[in-house]
Amino acid sequence: MRLLGSCKISENGVFVNNNLEEYYSACQTDWKRELYTKLDFEYPKFHKMDPLAKMAFLSFKLLEPKVDLGSLEDDSIGMLFANSSSSHTTDEKFKKSYYEKSPSPSLFVYTLPNILTGELAILNKWYGENIFFIQENFNPEFYLEQINFYFSKGLNICLCGWVESGPKGEECFLFVVENKDGDVTHDELYKCYKQKK
Amino acid sequence: MKNIFLSYGALITPLGNTVDANFEAMKRGVCGIKNVGDSGFNKEKWPLGKINSIEGENRYTELLNRLCEALLAEHPATLFQAQSTLLIVSSTKADINLLPDDTFASTRSILHEKLKLKNDALIISNACISGVLAINTAADYINSGKYKTAIVIGIDALSDFIVYGFQSLFALSSQVSKPFDKNRQGISIGEAAGAIIVSSEKLNDTSFYVNYLGGSSSNDANHISGPSRTGEGLYRSVTKTLNRSNVSPENIDFISAHGTGTAYNDEMESIAFDRLQLNDTPLNSFKGYFGHTLGAAGIIELIMTMSMMENNLMLKSMGFDTLGLSKELNVLTHNCEKAINIALKTASGFGGGNASVLIKKAT
Repeated sequence: MRLLGSCKISENGVFVNNNLEEYYSACQTDWKRELYTKLDFEYPKFHKMDPLAKMAFLSFKLLEPKVDLGSLEDDSIGMLFANSSSSHTTDEKFKKSYYEKSPSPSLFVYTLPNILTGELAILNKWYGENIFFIQENFNPEFYLEQINFYFSKGLNICLCGWVESGPKGEECFLFVVENKDGDVTHDELYKCYKQKK
Repeated sequence: MKNIFLSYGALITPLGNTVDANFEAMKRGVCGIKNVGDSGFNKEKWPLGKINSIEGENRYTELLNRLCEALLAEHPATLFQAQSTLLIVSSTKADINLLPDDTFASTRSILHEKLKLKNDALIISNACISGVLAINTAADYINSGKYKTAIVIGIDALSDFIVYGFQSLFALSSQVSKPFDKNRQGISIGEAAGAIIVSSEKLNDTSFYVNYLGGSSSNDANHISGPSRTGEGLYRSVTKTLNRSNVSPENIDFISAHGTGTAYNDEMESIAFDRLQLNDTPLNSFKGYFGHTLGAAGIIELIMTMSMMENNLMLKSMGFDTLGLSKELNVLTHNCEKAINIALKTASGFGGGNASVLIKKAT
């Protein structure tokens, strides 16, 4: 398999293919909205999304110009995502909504971590396979194992992600792997994930 | 694809604490959904699939502990402790009452303590298709040769969080859920835990086995909480599963559908099955017996499908009377003695997910 590209975003910065993108540096309170405004995407649905889907959307839009996915069949792209705290941030907000006044349906639908894969599927009109795991930490070995399962079933591309929003803070790491000759190592993936300024 | 066997692990639902007890109750037409007082946001009476012997708020922990005990009572402890065994858990909310703490951490610690696992438990949380995805993932691991056995647990417990949530969406039914019926009003939420053992060989000569033929998932890329009007995701998932299994639609003897009892979901399924030309294939939804058990649903409904195959008896779709769909489906109105060789299990859920799996009676 071949690594086509990666994007890591958090409040500490934006890295696309391991390069720090200088256009974004400030640590804003609402840094996702700030980033959305700076990048000038037209996608009103963004504002309705929960933190997980917002981060996945932003990372994907940053990664998209670097990887060529246009000519592929709409169900040959699989999505493989994981995090450690599920939908913790929205779970807390929904709980607050019913403690305070009335349970909010627009929050409730985001109390599932896999909603972000639904948002990416809608954005791209992708009909491929997807799955969401809860793991204690980002584990590159685990992703490579799962990617191999997808590729052995005939998928061409796998969009993988580790998207976290909860007590441990917020971060999003997306990478795209293609079913072609080449080697992707655990170390390489871990290096792409562990970006520091 | 290697030969992969599925057998019963354990089953705890409002209808009983063993696979046999559940099957016997369903055969007699017992419904596990009852009016529960002091429930819902305004503390009214709502029909829910509640396990009455579990008291208090600590339902998830109690349910998981009971499932572990049932597994240990029915299988040798060495099965769980082997290096060649992987444990997979399917759950949407795990112990949501632990908020603001980690809601999934206790699942790992309880399983490790009770079952003395050698390997870390693998958790899948992908809304209502989690259970079917978990079975497909187990088959991937067995096929790859990394593990000889995978124990696949599906579990979700009743909580205010879930009930209030479906109430806020106006998806909770004020009557007992009636999947596929023209008078259906929505979902009855339930709670359950079940386990299926997936293995590369038969574990003993006495258990009932089915073979795993193939499975897949497909997003319908339509809406995060509304099913596709064309059934595209479900259609594509079943088509992929049929291709991977080398099975034609006419060879399917029975479908255990998702059938939540909401207007849109059941209609979507009828469109997808119509496009697949599965209109005449006998079909039911088990959600009229247990309610919608979310992350447990795929597992417990597959267990009941296996039980039907073992007993050569198709169970009726509880709560169903008159078809209320735009396409014809053969929804079972009565129990029917008939052999089932090949069965299809499907699931659909929030986030646009659809998943399916085909199983065949093992020879």
